[in-house]
Amino acid sequence: MGNVLLILFGTLAVAAFGIITGLVFLGVDRILVARMQARIGPPWQQPFFDFFKLMSKENVIPRNSIPWLFNLAPLLALASSIVLLLYLPIGSFPALLAAHGDLILIVYLLIVPALAMVVGGFASSSPYATIGAQREMVTMISYELPLATIAVAYAWKLGQAGVAHPFALSSITANPIWGLVGPVGLAGAVLLLLVLIVVTPGELSRIPFDTPEAETELAGGLLVEYSGRNFALFYLALGVKSIVMAALVVALFFPWNVSDFIALPTVAARIADLAFWLLKIEVVIFFAASLIRISLARLRINHVVSLYWKYLGAVGFLALALLMIDGMIA
Amino acid sequence: MDVTTTLETGYGAWSPLVWLAAFAVTMVIALLIRSTGESRYKKDSNQTKPFISGNEAPQDAYHIRAGNLYWGYLEALKGYYQKLVPLHTGIMTDYVLWMFGVVAIMLLIGLSI
Repeated sequence: MGNVLLILFGTLAVAAFGIITGLVFLGVDRILVARMQARIGPPWQQPFFDFFKLMSKENVIPRNSIPWLFNLAPLLALASSIVLLLYLPIGSFPALLAAHGDLILIVYLLIVPALAMVVGGFASSSPYATIGAQREMVTMISYELPLATIAVAYAWKLGQAGVAHPFALSSITANPIWGLVGPVGLAGAVLLLLVLIVVTPGELSRIPFDTPEAETELAGGLLVEYSGRNFALFYLALGVKSIVMAALVVALFFPWNVSDFIALPTVAARIADLAFWLLKIEVVIFFAASLIRISLARLRINHVVSLYWKYLGAVGFLALALLMIDGMIA
Repeated sequence: MDVTTTLETGYGAWSPLVWLAAFAVTMVIALLIRSTGESRYKKDSNQTKPFISGNEAPQDAYHIRAGNLYWGYLEALKGYYQKLVPLHTGIMTDYVLWMFGVVAIMLLIGLSI
């Protein structure tokens, strides 16, 4: 009974936290992008204003669509994004469901929000949305390979170092990879970080991997028919998923807390760790989303596949090989 | 094995029921958020027509063939598929030959390790 209540109230707390911080970071992202373009940009609360505005607008359901699927997709996208956050540590708080899922599960669950968008796109029965959904599926297939190489390389290294439960996030955060490798393995770990940084904008459908939406080409692609509260839910899902991807990068590569270095009373340590975690999340979002989308133009879908499947896949395997060589040298 | 317990492999863990319970709670949260939004719209008006940049399109033009689904994928890996597709001759003996070839290579690798 205690566990059920913990999951219930914990899920509510994490959902509120994920949605609010997701929107705040979307606002910060817009300000930073504006400043890099020599614009002032909107206030940081703009995503909140956008959300409430969308909720007050008409929720149009296209006449050729499959209404129940069309309405279900945004719910699925938001719910599955929040669930992902339950498997990831937040600050020095361990993940709520840490004992019930590992890195492999997270890699698989990352597909669900994207799949929800695909379902919504196909259910729209619009040519733009259908093309967008098709592109989203191809993008999804493409970044799976580099993402899988990261999970395998990480668990292999931890297993080789004799760490129990190498796929568990708690084992990964307790044993940062930087402390387990020599110079050759360090190069491999840096390459893995690079791969995950490039996979992040693909997972979030942000420029240069926004081919499924492509406003100037597909008029919004798989979201073209969405409006009102359905679109607002997709917007919330984007915010939560941004936090999820950044939290994954932080958990894998930057798991340190302030309380690891400075002795603080328990409550102060929790607050300091949470503040430091939020700072790390913002830094990751800045480099993986804001900076990349301001620097590059949209890639064509076949270029997205080439980049992820051929080049990043090869970099992932190279990183795995470097970690193995490092293991043999040590 | 009891389905209510978390599967512990020694490498990681996975509990479908816990995921399902958490997913049910988050679905309720999403539904509650959705229920606070505006649900009305003008049915059977022009606003429900699929958006095609303001153009009129016949009914059959709304559908994109599923044959286009993997275009980007096939285009990016063209070199690989150009070599792979002709190997699929549809002749049974060819496939059996391939199977024997692959088994022989695997045996050689296995014996050499």
